[in-house]
Amino acid sequence: MESLISSFLQFVLIYLILGLVFTIAFMSKGLSVVDEGTKETSWKFKLLILPGMLVFWPLFALKWKRSLK
Amino acid sequence: MLKFADYGTFNGGDLMGVKYEAVLWNRQKKNYDIILWGMIFGILLVFGASQLFMHPQITAETLIIRATALTAFVLLHLILMIGPLARLDRRFLPLLYNRRHLGVSMFLVALVHGAFSIIQFHALGDVNPIVSVFTSNQNYQAISEFPFQILGFFALIILFVMAATSHDFWVKNLSPKIWKTLHMSVYIAYALLIAHVAKGALQYENHPVYWAILIIGFVAVAGLHLTAGVNEYKRLSKEKNAASKDGFVDIGSVNEIPDDCAKTVFINRENIAIFKYDGNISAVHNVCKHQMGPLGEGKIVDGCITCPWHGYQYLPQNGQAPSPFTETLHTYAVKVIGENVWVNPTPKPEGTFIEPAKMGQA
Repeated sequence: MESLISSFLQFVLIYLILGLVFTIAFMSKGLSVVDEGTKETSWKFKLLILPGMLVFWPLFALKWKRSLK
Repeated sequence: MLKFADYGTFNGGDLMGVKYEAVLWNRQKKNYDIILWGMIFGILLVFGASQLFMHPQITAETLIIRATALTAFVLLHLILMIGPLARLDRRFLPLLYNRRHLGVSMFLVALVHGAFSIIQFHALGDVNPIVSVFTSNQNYQAISEFPFQILGFFALIILFVMAATSHDFWVKNLSPKIWKTLHMSVYIAYALLIAHVAKGALQYENHPVYWAILIIGFVAVAGLHLTAGVNEYKRLSKEKNAASKDGFVDIGSVNEIPDDCAKTVFINRENIAIFKYDGNISAVHNVCKHQMGPLGEGKIVDGCITCPWHGYQYLPQNGQAPSPFTETLHTYAVKVIGENVWVNPTPKPEGTFIEPAKMGQA
């Protein structure tokens, strides 16, 4: 039980770290491409959406990829 | 061009935004947050003082855990009651429009409770504190000793996802349908928290009054939802049986519609808002193009229908957003016969001008 939960938590941690790395890159280059409404938005707005980005980052990775095609 | 911003315009002073803002403050939001946080600190202080009085030996950590638990739970009940209250009585609508701030505030208080609980009960051993939440008590098949902290943990995760996605940015990027579904999970969090409290705190503080408070809270939430649902069902049934003639349906007396406000009806699966303004009657589709907000709960501000959620505006005669904006709504033919308003539920193409019906015309 303990090892199972530890493994799952490690998976979650890696997922969130990957999300943070992706989000830093995405916010500097991809965010305004995926959503025009984010152009010239403040750092406060970006900070506000950061926690959600860590959860839903694969969705934005897909959106970004599609927008590059 | 699309416009997405988090704001309200009941004072008629704001313009539609063209980009996201962290929070677009206005007077109502500031007042709302001042009252909200005043109430939060009030509950924390009163409960904290009563705990100190009843348990003079209580530690600061335990006091914080208990006070934040009670405050967050009270706020969650308020959040769940605002929706049906606003459907039953329009005077509660201002509470509904700023419910996101209430939700995020509730999560922050719950987060303090969760963090202090994990530190107090799970961070002192050699096992990872989060792992300890799941493994310190493994009586999963027991009723009386069920590991209630897990229930609270999962509820906190749900509340986190909801708080993290509370901005308009998420409504657009997740799609309104998915966003709404995601936020309906508040009811799962509520069920988890009822069990969390019943299996946790009330096992130690098992005085009947605590159980009575928990049950009264649940009955209030469930009762309001049930009452609002029954009312809605009755209204829909009444509209279904309304008189019709030449494609027009009688939706009731013009006096039922307050000045510069609307009455909403469902006819032939059409969600219609009928507005009364300056002696005129006009009907448009009741769903805002921005985030599917209920236009019929808004008001006429500066001659425009103004969505109560974020202030998007449309002209009542043609359903068009004022220039330079380009959103358009379906419009519906209306007429006034005697004192009654009749509406044709067949939607006209979006943005179609329809001469407003004049009140008092035969």
